[in-house]
Amino acid sequence: MSRFQRVKSFTAGILMILFALLMLLAPEEFYDTLAAIISFMMIIYGLRLLIYYFRMARHMVGGKSTLYQAIVVLDAALFTLAVASMNSFIIMMYLLGIYAFSGAVDILRAFEAKRNGASWKMKFLTGCISVLFAVMLVITGVVLKKTEILVYGFGISLIYSATVRIASAFRRTAIVYIQ
Amino acid sequence: MNSDFHYYATYCAAQLAGYSHEDSQSIAYSAQMVDFCTRTLLSTLKAPLSAATTQLQLELMDARTDIAGLQDITRIWASFHFLPYDLNALPPKRCCKRYRDKYRLICKPNGELLSATVSLAKDKSLQAVGVAMHVLADTWAHQNFAGTPSLVINNTNSWFYELLEDGNGFTERKLNFRHSASSPDDLEHSLYTSSLYSNSENSIMNLGHGRAGHLPDYSFIRYEYLPAWGQYEVIVKDNPSDYLHAFAQMVYAMRWLRGETDDFALDAYAWDAVEPYRDEIERIIKTRQLDASADWKALGERLSGQTIESFRLEKYQEEYLNAVEEEKDDTFLGRLFIAALAQKSMVTGRIYQSGSKLAGYSVDYRQKGFKGIRDFKRLIRSSRGGKRQ
Repeated sequence: MSRFQRVKSFTAGILMILFALLMLLAPEEFYDTLAAIISFMMIIYGLRLLIYYFRMARHMVGGKSTLYQAIVVLDAALFTLAVASMNSFIIMMYLLGIYAFSGAVDILRAFEAKRNGASWKMKFLTGCISVLFAVMLVITGVVLKKTEILVYGFGISLIYSATVRIASAFRRTAIVYIQ
Repeated sequence: MNSDFHYYATYCAAQLAGYSHEDSQSIAYSAQMVDFCTRTLLSTLKAPLSAATTQLQLELMDARTDIAGLQDITRIWASFHFLPYDLNALPPKRCCKRYRDKYRLICKPNGELLSATVSLAKDKSLQAVGVAMHVLADTWAHQNFAGTPSLVINNTNSWFYELLEDGNGFTERKLNFRHSASSPDDLEHSLYTSSLYSNSENSIMNLGHGRAGHLPDYSFIRYEYLPAWGQYEVIVKDNPSDYLHAFAQMVYAMRWLRGETDDFALDAYAWDAVEPYRDEIERIIKTRQLDASADWKALGERLSGQTIESFRLEKYQEEYLNAVEEEKDDTFLGRLFIAALAQKSMVTGRIYQSGSKLAGYSVDYRQKGFKGIRDFKRLIRSSRGGKRQ
């Protein structure tokens, strides 16, 4: 990573943690903000797809499909921004995807590491916690209709991403070249 | 390519190049290890993690696709399995730098980096020879794909046809793909496993030949398809011809590494050594089977008159684990890890010098001293010793 990328990664990590802490301290006030954030994230994703098409995918066989995807995503994002009630479902799906998938991968990785004789317990534990969290989200969000849990879920995943960003900003990444 | 070629065919090639039975086994073992040397294995051995030459499927799923994560993936796959052909190549149409950098990582045989790879193994250990032979062989099998996650380079669509010999030429048969990693490929019904489509440029689903499944790894198959980068031009992949060339080039390269010839030239093959066995080799290569190990093994044993041991992953692990820290680099696996670090250092350095940061940053030790990942101190130590490993 270049120095600029390291600074960017570190700063983004700190900002993400601060924002997540604010969310966790006042989840009720932040629910609407979170809903807006998710919609804006979708808009940004749609715009990124559009830029990706014009810079990269137009050179690719079948690249036009990226253009169509960008248009559909942008349309969906604007629609969800307008219909606030849709957002809790989208947030739920988003968080479920993150926790269930990363949990399943962690557990499978732990089994694989165990088969190969490497350390596996920590990976297994984090996998179980992620899956448990996904189950909790379903129960409290879908069954009990308590939306604060979504804010907590989003906040925790934000802190995790921020920590990884900060850690990677300090990681040695250069390869030594010997001629 | 699979273990049939990387282990048994490499043994046969080493025999034809003049190596002894024991040396041929060591070279073949090292070539095969390139497909097994994962971080998971290295952590079990408490070995330098930067010596990883491949990644398990789940390691890949677990890998982060941020800048540092992508660079790590690219270092591994571009250095050992998809050696870039031309780091100065220009795409046919005007494009942005990001696209150009990825386009330049497309693997093909006989590139300048292949010459550098084989030269790197000159006067080095048998393990270094094995690593170089793996890389060389893969430039034939994995050509037209890049060792970095990229939708715009590595994606393929459903337009795949197998070309079956029918006496007068070839007939086309549609190839189909499914995405169940645990299901074996079904040759009879032309049903192959490939990675899922992902519209994310940097998804690991778009790494190497994942989208084309294991087709590049089967020596018998001829097929035509549309690579994502190819501007709708059909590519005919003739694996039987490519595998034969890979074999003859391995013999040629190993003859040079043994000091039998003065120069190593690109696009040169030891056809004279292959000729007496050509019919047998072509028969093995063209037989429709998922694993040709038994056939290659029989040929190898005929060549040497010795029994070839089956590949055992744990064969040298105890030696490495029991060695004291100062002597680890002189064990069989220690020398393999040094060879892997050297190859990774060289390829990353060349990609970085070409102006691309896809494989990460490379610090020239002669100019700036030691800066970077600590594992590479072993490489410095080894090169300072200057001894034949």
